[in-house]
Amino acid sequence: MDSTKLMKLREESGIKILEIKTDLSSYAASDLRKVLEDLLAEKVERVVVNLSQVSHINSTAVGALVGVAKRLRQSGGDLKICALADNLTRTFNLIGASSVVEIYESENSALAAF
Amino acid sequence: MEKSDIKLKIPSADFYIEPTRAFIGNLAQSLGFSRKRVADIQLVLDEICSNAVHHGSVDATVGVKLRIRIDTDSLEILVRDTGSRQAEAKNWLTHERLSEIEANRSPCSERGHGIFIVKSLADTYEMQRNAAGGTDVRVVFGRLKPSDLKL
Repeated sequence: MDSTKLMKLREESGIKILEIKTDLSSYAASDLRKVLEDLLAEKVERVVVNLSQVSHINSTAVGALVGVAKRLRQSGGDLKICALADNLTRTFNLIGASSVVEIYESENSALAAF
Repeated sequence: MEKSDIKLKIPSADFYIEPTRAFIGNLAQSLGFSRKRVADIQLVLDEICSNAVHHGSVDATVGVKLRIRIDTDSLEILVRDTGSRQAEAKNWLTHERLSEIEANRSPCSERGHGIFIVKSLADTYEMQRNAAGGTDVRVVFGRLKPSDLKL
């Protein structure tokens, strides 16, 4: 099964919005990394990742988001995350990733932050 | 409820971690764990199985074994891999290698958070070599006793 089909890309005001519609355990986390790497290869600079339909995230997926956010910042862009369930917020806080990646309550607030 | 064991063997591939995570979530919920604790148990299982698949298996055919022990006051999960047979390789998770990963872990790290999460969320965590040359990881989650509930 290819979980990239559950990762929908759209664009608003020049910002790529990646909406994840699957839980992010190891298998889907690898696919998330591939999707994000493709965005980097396409020279996309501004990305919002909407996690409103995700109820689980593991450290591999968090690491992929952190890594791409860091690389985008090096080229003047950024990756912001929005709409995390409470347990996802706890995972980001536990790892410390919430101090590295900007997290917003809603997609609109993440878009407005660019 | 008397002590009882559930034994599973999954292929050493990422794809099988998600249904296993769903299973342990349903089980933990049935045992009365809170929603928050169910999420913790699922995350811990995901991280341990991911390590077993990526660092403790020669290929997908060897499999990862799980023993889930339900007791009156605890839920114990034992994950056993057979080892990558690359004891000298950088990716094999020895205690020394884990200490090195933990020492280098930072919020900016893309990898190396798994065991930190497991240690942080499980009530008990143990890791040791097994007879097959692989790794056994055992975690225990305490079940809330009825007398602990504040009604």
